[in-house]
Amino acid sequence: FPGAGGGNDIQWCFSQVKGAVDDDVAEADIISTVEFNHSGELLATGDKGGRVVIFQQEQENKTQSHSRGEYNVYSTFQSHEPEFDYLKSLEIEEKINKIRWLPQKNAAQFLLSTNDKTIKLWKISERDKRPEGYNLKEEDGRYRDPTTVTTLRVPVFRPMDLMVEASPRRIFANAHTYHINSISINSDYETYLSADDLRINLWHLEITDRSFNIVDIKPANMEELTEVITAAEFHPNSCNTFVYSSSKGTIRLCDMRASALCDRHSKLFEEPEDPSNRSFFSEIISSISDVKFSHSGRYMMTRDYLSVKIWDLNMENRPVETYQVHEYLRSKLCSLYENDCIFDKFECCWNGSDRQVLIVMTGSYNNFFRMFDRNTKRDITLEASRENNKPRTVLKPRKVCASGKRKKDEISVDSLDFNKKILHTAWHPKENIIAVATTNNLYIFQDKMN
Amino acid sequence: MLGKGGKRKFDEHEDGLEGKVVSPTDGPSKVSYTLQRQTIFNISLMKLYNHRPLTEPSLQKTVLINNMLRRIQEELKQEGSLRPVFVTASQPADSLGDTFREAQPAFSHLSSQPLLPPDLVSTTTPLESCLTPASLLEDDTFCTSPTVQHDGPTKAPPPALQPIKDSFSSALDEIEELCPAPTSAEAVAAETADDDSKAQPSESTIQKPEGFLESRTAEPKLMDSLPSNFEITTSTGFLTDLTLDDILFADIDTSMYDFDPCTSATGAASKMAPVSADELLKTLAPYSSQPVAPNQPFKMDLTELDHIMEVLVGS
Repeated sequence: FPGAGGGNDIQWCFSQVKGAVDDDVAEADIISTVEFNHSGELLATGDKGGRVVIFQQEQENKTQSHSRGEYNVYSTFQSHEPEFDYLKSLEIEEKINKIRWLPQKNAAQFLLSTNDKTIKLWKISERDKRPEGYNLKEEDGRYRDPTTVTTLRVPVFRPMDLMVEASPRRIFANAHTYHINSISINSDYETYLSADDLRINLWHLEITDRSFNIVDIKPANMEELTEVITAAEFHPNSCNTFVYSSSKGTIRLCDMRASALCDRHSKLFEEPEDPSNRSFFSEIISSISDVKFSHSGRYMMTRDYLSVKIWDLNMENRPVETYQVHEYLRSKLCSLYENDCIFDKFECCWNGSDRQVLIVMTGSYNNFFRMFDRNTKRDITLEASRENNKPRTVLKPRKVCASGKRKKDEISVDSLDFNKKILHTAWHPKENIIAVATTNNLYIFQDKMN
Repeated sequence: MLGKGGKRKFDEHEDGLEGKVVSPTDGPSKVSYTLQRQTIFNISLMKLYNHRPLTEPSLQKTVLINNMLRRIQEELKQEGSLRPVFVTASQPADSLGDTFREAQPAFSHLSSQPLLPPDLVSTTTPLESCLTPASLLEDDTFCTSPTVQHDGPTKAPPPALQPIKDSFSSALDEIEELCPAPTSAEAVAAETADDDSKAQPSESTIQKPEGFLESRTAEPKLMDSLPSNFEITTSTGFLTDLTLDDILFADIDTSMYDFDPCTSATGAASKMAPVSADELLKTLAPYSSQPVAPNQPFKMDLTELDHIMEVLVGS
């Protein structure tokens, strides 16, 4: 990227940042998921307080060719509320774990949002006109005295200020004993799956009172439990195929046509352990925190604690590419275990559908995020920070000094702030615009045009 | 994890622990390896048992930590030593140590008997000292024999089940530890094999967090007690043959079972004081075909349970 030749190298510039400026982070404001819709016009975030905030991209100003439209708040609503499970005497968090958009079919937009236990289908619709001129009601809604009505008129629609309304259309509840970690909409756009630690359920978007269990890895005796489901996703093109990843670093591909209960996988993807890297923490760092199919469906990407791996669906015994996100943490695993950072669940994403570009992105600590170019095999580390970020200024690459003498502008591993983690990133489906979530801020970067 | 925002400082001490993992057979680095392993073991225990969240703990995290502990235990077993030195200062554990002996002499059978003062070795049922209604509600659950470990469990144990309240879960855990499920033969074997080298429960008690009243003492016992963490999330029936509706204390005052684990410094037994053990035994005796004796499982049906509940609540 930096300084290298090649017209394809993207130069990322700061565009916008959303969220509070204070250092004191309100717990409810912690961003827990980020997702572009299918056109990229809308960008949704979910937070720990159960709220969903949707940003809308301004229509491109044809005269201003230097930048793409900015994202502004379009709708904010409370998706989930905290609940209390009286039987277990435990709270059910309202934190939004995932948001997934449905493709747009009419004027309204639909998305699925989920917390640990309940999935909801939300309809977001615009209202920019309202009927006026009722016969029996005043404009403010009060009823008119019928005796004062002397003429009749037909109410007409008149323009009003744009109002964006979100309403819950379906609530899919009571199907998960364990915590939901993933939802994924099928390519048939009629069904979707939801996965918790031990089970995966299949739903029809129209039907809320039943779901079908398609994967169940709960052992008869819970004492024997050693592995949980960490993520699941439908294949982008093949509506009977899905994958799920585990805490032991395996990915299973299942075909729903094979049987009703897909406990037996069609394929099992697992890389043999590298004996030279064996440690107490081998299992924990192999736990996969995210799995994403490529747009073509030929590849899938997994994220474990230290690396990103690209798998060819035709090859089960090892990934075709492995990228080290922050290998310098390998010698710090004990501390990271102690402070729980080793359990952080980083997500990963592919670039948009531009076929020329093949880049994957993921987050790290110290508000750093990483991109790996699969074509050039080059990688870059960037930082999401309000400092030194002026619009249309190209971001300066960062470098972490693992050991030895620290060069100027490098940051030593010991100075990394492990409280500043980037877990959620998203890439615009069509353009080189990315959304990067720090703890409570959302950064939008875009490539430098012309 | 959030809020402080302070930069982490590199702890010099940990440098030695965290380097490349060395084989345990290397000479001088064996100490380092053992120390590292020990530290990780302690950290893992603290993570599991010091955590009392308002929300359910992450099952994935619990599973990974459990696996870590099991792996280390396996290693320790293979190396022949079964009692690691607990590096972390466990003052609460020490203070609880005596009371644990007192509260749960049921565990006396787990360690070599001679190690315990004779007066604490209970020859009668565990009911005497760790009474809870949950134990009575269990369908043919527990054995009264102190030697049950070696005779094999004499019940068909239900899986570790969903507790209604903390007191229930602790009672269940005690019961489980008396009669582990057949599938944890590993744990049973471990105990049989290592009885001699085992520490007294009280010596090796770990830091006792609030909320967990059972004694998680001898390591192999962890094998049994670990899974109870999973059970927070299970929704399987609390009782195998009985439904909750049969027993639900809808009209029963359960205030005596509501106790604040934080303040319970003297273990479960003290809180169960309202019903005396003798009284209960007398109540139970007529219902079993034989007097309560070792090696006899308890079997009761619903009417008996109702009566017992009346006794417990009525007093």
